[in-house]
Amino acid sequence: MSSRPPAQEMSAASDPVRRLSRRRLLRHTVATAGALLAAAPLSGCASPASASGASSLSVWDLFQGGDGMLMDDMIEAVSQGAGGFDVDRTILDWGPSYYTKLAMSAAGGRASDVAAMHLSRLAGYAPGGLVDPFDLDLLAEFGVTHEDFTPAVWARTQHEGTVYAIPLDVHPFIVFYDKEAAETAGLLDSSGELAPMGSPEAFLEAGRALAEATGQAGILFGHVTDTAQSWRLFAALYAQTGAAFTLPDGGPPKIDVDAAVRVVTFMKQLFDGRTNPNDLDYNGALAAFTSGRGGMAMLGEWELPTLKKAGIPLGAAAFPQVFDRPAVYTDSHSFVLPHQKDPDPARRREAHRYVAEMLKQSLTWASAGHIPAYQPVLAEPEYTALDPQSSYAEAAKAAVLDPPNWFVGAGSNFQNRMCQPLQSALLGNTSAEKAVRQMVREADALLRQPNPVA
Amino acid sequence: MSATAPTVRARRRPPREAAGSPLLLGHGRLPRVLAGTALAVLAALWLVPFVWAIATSVQSEQDVSTPGLSPLKGAFTLDAYQQILERGNVAVWALNSFLIAGLVTLITVVVSTLAAYGFSRGTFRGRRALLAVTVAAIMVPPQLLVVPLFEQMLLFGLVDTYAAVILPQVVAPMMVFILKRFFDGIPRELEEAARIDGASEFRVFRSIVLPLSRPIVAAVAIFVFIGAWNNFMWPFIVTNDPGLMTLPVGLATVKDAYGIQYAQSMASALLAALPLIVVFLLFQRRIVNSVATTGLGGS
Amino acid sequence: MTTTAPIGAGTPADPPAARRTGGRDRAVLRRIRTTPSTGFVFVLPFLLVFGLFMVWPVVQGLWMSFTDTSLALRDTAFVGFDNYTEALGDPDVWSSLGNTVFFTAVSSVPLVLVALAMALLVHSGLAGQWAWRLAFFAPYLLPVTVVTLIWTWLYQPDLGLGNQLLTTLGLDSVGWLSDESVAMWSIAALTVWWTVGFNFLLYLAALQSLPSTFDEAAALDGAGAWRRLWSVTLPQLRRTTALVAMLQVLASLKVFDQIYILTKGGPNGSTRPVLEYVYDVGFTGYRLGYASAISYLFFALVIVVSLVQLRLFRQED
Repeated sequence: MSSRPPAQEMSAASDPVRRLSRRRLLRHTVATAGALLAAAPLSGCASPASASGASSLSVWDLFQGGDGMLMDDMIEAVSQGAGGFDVDRTILDWGPSYYTKLAMSAAGGRASDVAAMHLSRLAGYAPGGLVDPFDLDLLAEFGVTHEDFTPAVWARTQHEGTVYAIPLDVHPFIVFYDKEAAETAGLLDSSGELAPMGSPEAFLEAGRALAEATGQAGILFGHVTDTAQSWRLFAALYAQTGAAFTLPDGGPPKIDVDAAVRVVTFMKQLFDGRTNPNDLDYNGALAAFTSGRGGMAMLGEWELPTLKKAGIPLGAAAFPQVFDRPAVYTDSHSFVLPHQKDPDPARRREAHRYVAEMLKQSLTWASAGHIPAYQPVLAEPEYTALDPQSSYAEAAKAAVLDPPNWFVGAGSNFQNRMCQPLQSALLGNTSAEKAVRQMVREADALLRQPNPVA
Repeated sequence: MSATAPTVRARRRPPREAAGSPLLLGHGRLPRVLAGTALAVLAALWLVPFVWAIATSVQSEQDVSTPGLSPLKGAFTLDAYQQILERGNVAVWALNSFLIAGLVTLITVVVSTLAAYGFSRGTFRGRRALLAVTVAAIMVPPQLLVVPLFEQMLLFGLVDTYAAVILPQVVAPMMVFILKRFFDGIPRELEEAARIDGASEFRVFRSIVLPLSRPIVAAVAIFVFIGAWNNFMWPFIVTNDPGLMTLPVGLATVKDAYGIQYAQSMASALLAALPLIVVFLLFQRRIVNSVATTGLGGS
Repeated sequence: MTTTAPIGAGTPADPPAARRTGGRDRAVLRRIRTTPSTGFVFVLPFLLVFGLFMVWPVVQGLWMSFTDTSLALRDTAFVGFDNYTEALGDPDVWSSLGNTVFFTAVSSVPLVLVALAMALLVHSGLAGQWAWRLAFFAPYLLPVTVVTLIWTWLYQPDLGLGNQLLTTLGLDSVGWLSDESVAMWSIAALTVWWTVGFNFLLYLAALQSLPSTFDEAAALDGAGAWRRLWSVTLPQLRRTTALVAMLQVLASLKVFDQIYILTKGGPNGSTRPVLEYVYDVGFTGYRLGYASAISYLFFALVIVVSLVQLRLFRQED
């Protein structure tokens, strides 16, 4: 940790976010009065940010709940001291509404200085010029280089060789398990961690053993009416088969239908409705696991804070390898510089420094369950002491993200449309073959749309 | 198409609704009781959401999240309001709403009144054609123009400015039409004398026509203000900077780190509802009249 | 025509108006009246904003619908009718149009009937006029977000008033906004609560301006309250009802705000109205050109509906 010496600043400034809102009120009142007096409505000078010349850094993100509060803590930490930032944080709703606003503000040219973005969404922003590239020299000056990230993740930060995103974390889709149930079921290795599975049969068997151990359900998975979960599971398993899943503009998608059918068939076997329920929704699965009605749950690691509160003997592991090679479905919260028409070089410099400083706060972020993308943090003893975070840190190396295209990624229509046939298959309403055919059709329909960012 | 002039006269008439129309119910007791009951049930239904919201807003988040039908589950507290006010956003957005709705109203009323007078009294070439186009434009729903308007704002470089929120809202062909019909109904003899005395057209407009039109102008202003205050779609699309947002847009778009908290959410809703409710209580008759006249004026 | 002295006609060759003024004055008047620009200055500011923010976007939108204009920063190309053919074959266009029409149907009917009932009851002369008016009209003054905040809470699955009430009565709770077959009805209910006050005021104003002579005559003839309502009052309200229904249908077709905030069109697109699809395609999906084409298809529908209604309305006269 490179935190600054605790500066004895004004104690009233304990909450930088709140303090800023009041300043913003003042700034806007002045700016509005100015705009009124100028009475030149077409001049466009009414933009308060440019009118006031205020130096606070505006940042956008989509973190609420546990993540949201940790982000507050991190911002507070980098706001301390002499070089502390004056941060004006805006939180928008997770999902399409956030990404729409981000794109619209970038198109308008008056976007925030820094914004959070899922790395899987970058392909919809970088090619269309909606985000501006990072200056790597500047970042290096503040102590961050590409060597601080795993190659699997760093490769996805670029478009045509230019870096547009700096990852804060890697957040994989993993398995949480009840340590006692797993022990009884004989699934733990000598060090008390989840032993490797290695084959579809072994995973099915593990489910049965867990169901026996809990006397209720084995593996819990919530997917009904969810717009991401079944895609996450499918994508993880599909990547493990080693088959390619690419989305070339104009279609057709390159999907190995046999491999996909194998995966969906396995998913149907796993969630057969007897040992492992097949009709849970997200909250239902979460509630069942926290109340001890199942031995294992497939969830994003971001549920860690919620699960820890439940008081079950909690274990966690990277998503088990079932097929031929290790692969873990992940995404990554990263920082981007939304496009600005006339970026002020000094502000841009501050934006780079902010990103670098925030990366160094990754340990705080890791307490939410996220794996820091900034590798130096992983080596710190404070991180290795984090349990169970450190037990799935390996996942970052086998990270698989959505296939890049403008319409894919977290909270996208693509994930939603992939989930519909998968949900039908898991609920037993359709066969694996039909579900896969529909997935291919859906992907093809999306690819046939003219690409608006190319 | 004769509903304009009566507005002025309607205001001079003794307020009929105070006396009501007892004839409608006759003198029997039963209809009266039935009507009273129906009215009370309807009013109760309409007030329940308010009551439930108010009750929720004055409790702690913990008490609110206890199941139960009782509206008050715990001790009275104003914590939620305090939290909301400390965060400051609602105040910023309320200020923006007042400024934006105020400016939209001012510009719309000035521009529309002038245009209506020009259309009513003017003799310039193309008057009929322009009037026809204006009337036809009443049929164009502004919601359908958000895409090209946004593109236009991108072109002008106005996205995320007050100008972009305000300007597209000041085009009100319907209001021009309503005002024009009203002006058409004002006898011209009054103006002719002034004209012969050499008064300019603007003077005639300002000192003769306008004073006679106060009620209708007030009605239009109120109507436009309510519309602008509550407008969501356009301000939502053209503002991304939370500091520029209006109340409805800010409340719907910007979240806080803690996630949804119902007591706070109700407190912010009620704070945001307060201004227009207070205005309504103060100017009830005027607002009712404005809705009646401008709403019916479309025919 | 000539005898009624059309006060408002105002053309220079208007004989009755000219006759009333003296010869010298007539000359002055003619000079004023015939200046080609008379009145134009008054119209100018309006023409400016009208041209900029109404005509321009209408034309620009039409042009955009023939291009592949994108929100992303890149060049635009002319694509002919591609957007229109794509829209006609896009199942989401049709389903969102269907949702819009469904919403219009299930919201407009109660919005007219409940408003009428409220107005008749309030007009019946019971005490406390202003209180009733406030109760029914107050929700109309609320910004949409306030309405959706309150109703999100009422519709909240575990703690909301709706499900608390049902569970207290021993019934199953309802997925007010999460059940595909229920969500649109929930939104319609909220909309009735929110906007019925406007129609209520229109009806109340109409009732108050009805001549009471017919009613009095019928009462003297011994007609009861019900009979007078059916045979005197309601027929007199025909015109108002036609107008209220017309305004309401046009308003309901344009639904976006409350649905966008409450469900974003979900669950599974079951509440997505066409204006939200325009937003989703144009802004979320960057395809402004395609979104314009969908807007224009919808515009065509709105115009057809308006014209049909206007026709019906005229026939009523």
